Amino acid sequence: MIEVALRLFENKYFLVAMILFIIGFHTLLTHSNLIKKVIGMNIMDTAIFLFFVSIGYVDGAVAPIIEPGVEQAYINPLPTVLILTGIVVAVSVTAFALSLIVKLYESYGTLDAEEIMRIRSNEP
Amino acid sequence: MSHINQIIALLQDHSPVLVVIVLLVFAYMMPLFARWKKEWCAPLALTSIALSLGFTGLLTWEVFASGPIRYEMGSWAPPWGIEFLVDYIGLFMLITIGIISLLILTFGTEDLTHELKEKVQGWYYTLYLLLVGSMMGLAITNDLFNMFVFMEIAAISACAIISIKSDRECVEASLKYLILSAVGTGGVLLSIALLYMVTGHLNFDFIAAGLENVLYVYPNNILVALALFTLGFIVKAALFPLHVWLPDAHSSAPSPSSAMLSGLVIKIYAVVYLKLLMRVFPAELFTIIPIFDIILILASMSIIFGSIFAMVQKDIKRMLAYSSIAQIGYVFLGIGLLTPMGLSGGLLHIFNHAMMKSMLFLSAGAIIYCAGVRNISDLKGIGLKMPLVMAVFTIGALAMVGIPVTNGFISKLYLALGTLEAGKPFYLAVILASSLLNAVYYFPIIIGAFFGHHHHDEYGEEVEEGPKVKKLPMAMGVPLTILGLGCIFFGLFPGVIMIVVERAVGMFL
Repeated sequence: MIEVALRLFENKYFLVAMILFIIGFHTLLTHSNLIKKVIGMNIMDTAIFLFFVSIGYVDGAVAPIIEPGVEQAYINPLPTVLILTGIVVAVSVTAFALSLIVKLYESYGTLDAEEIMRIRSNEP
Repeated sequence: MSHINQIIALLQDHSPVLVVIVLLVFAYMMPLFARWKKEWCAPLALTSIALSLGFTGLLTWEVFASGPIRYEMGSWAPPWGIEFLVDYIGLFMLITIGIISLLILTFGTEDLTHELKEKVQGWYYTLYLLLVGSMMGLAITNDLFNMFVFMEIAAISACAIISIKSDRECVEASLKYLILSAVGTGGVLLSIALLYMVTGHLNFDFIAAGLENVLYVYPNNILVALALFTLGFIVKAALFPLHVWLPDAHSSAPSPSSAMLSGLVIKIYAVVYLKLLMRVFPAELFTIIPIFDIILILASMSIIFGSIFAMVQKDIKRMLAYSSIAQIGYVFLGIGLLTPMGLSGGLLHIFNHAMMKSMLFLSAGAIIYCAGVRNISDLKGIGLKMPLVMAVFTIGALAMVGIPVTNGFISKLYLALGTLEAGKPFYLAVILASSLLNAVYYFPIIIGAFFGHHHHDEYGEEVEEGPKVKKLPMAMGVPLTILGLGCIFFGLFPGVIMIVVERAVGMFL
């Protein structure tokens, strides 16, 4: 039991990332409010970003600015750089989703996905 | 003279990246031209796809002369730099995407003036070119993160060419597609992270080499990565249980967008998935988890249920959209069979279905443009008013069912032979059943369109029924004719495209 807890603690970044991922995914799938769906999507993306960045992290290491003659460990900068791109992509998807939601709100007057379904099914 | 030679040599050296770059550059020029010289937009967009197709031709020549080409971005050698690999499967997809998207856009130049508002027409070309460019990038990229970025570009532009029509069905369909594809790309990014964690690479070849070594050290990472890739690509390719976004998205979009989405966008993900399975994941992994059997089951469910749902639709574009779910099943069936014949059939079906489905969607679009009807029941007698459109629709429908002389027959024949080769005759039954189902929902439309009865009034005189029909513009008639003739041509001479397909299959098996 304690061993398991210790191993979980060692991998605490991954654990937290996975918990966040599940929270985001759950919000995305179960909430009918469209804005909450987008928030869930963002939490999910953030969880993936945290996971990716923590892969490159080394305990006690410094940023990879190499000083000649000094022996020290460096963290891996590549995941951080990749995630910078990932964040840009996530922001643009969010912006696009929100603009679509604005348009939906204009034509239906509600943000609730189930309400929209109901309105549509009542139409001829 | 030497200058010209130098320039040609330069273009030749950089042609793998120019295929994509040309489209991206032109895409961002479109809004400028929309403000300045509106009438230039359409010809320029067509030119850029033609240019890209020209570079594809150059690549084809080079690859057939001297084998697959590797291109290092900015001369950074992998594993540090991003790498493009133009091999036979990449080439096959480049050719398919180039030709079909050129024809669809030719049709679109006329159709869009009718379907879209004046001020967004320039932006449509931007999105269209971005979509084509990102798909071409997906076909030839050899780097996981680059693949992710292209997937996101493709997803956003694919959603945007649906919602650009901005009536509420389109916006709703587009949002549904966007959210589901965000789940898909989320899964893909997470699995990229898992693979990067155990191998430390992003280049396909280096990951493959790394995974061979660590398969038994970190089996869970690799299994979860495989599962997430499968989830991501199945959502994107609209295979059966996760197809829910497709019917709304493909039926409400403007017709050129529907043709593009059904004809090309869902296929490219199947190809990328195939590349990942074959070139990245070690073959030993598939002895632990029978992923190909799972694909076979999902594919046959997709084939059967797609056809059944298509039968009950009243809207013609919605019916075609459900039919696409069935047809993407064939492609995955070919992947799952994993025999030379089966895989050839699956890949050939990508090309053939891209032709027939874009043709069917475009002819549906032409009917909506000229006659203003989209319910199947309103199509009675329309074949006599729009002979060309209904003739190509008929060719497309025959190809869907798989009647000999059409290209659909060839790919189904290969798939059928593949099922026997793999010793799985059950899937042969699936293919046959689905062909019959296809006939059940395509033939009534054709029969009704050509032989639909005329009503008689009380004096026994024939009454003209149905809507008034506009004349079909040239820009719509020509691509439809080319696609129709192409369906017959590739049914009679499949060898022309099989040269590439056979070599692509030879790379994998």
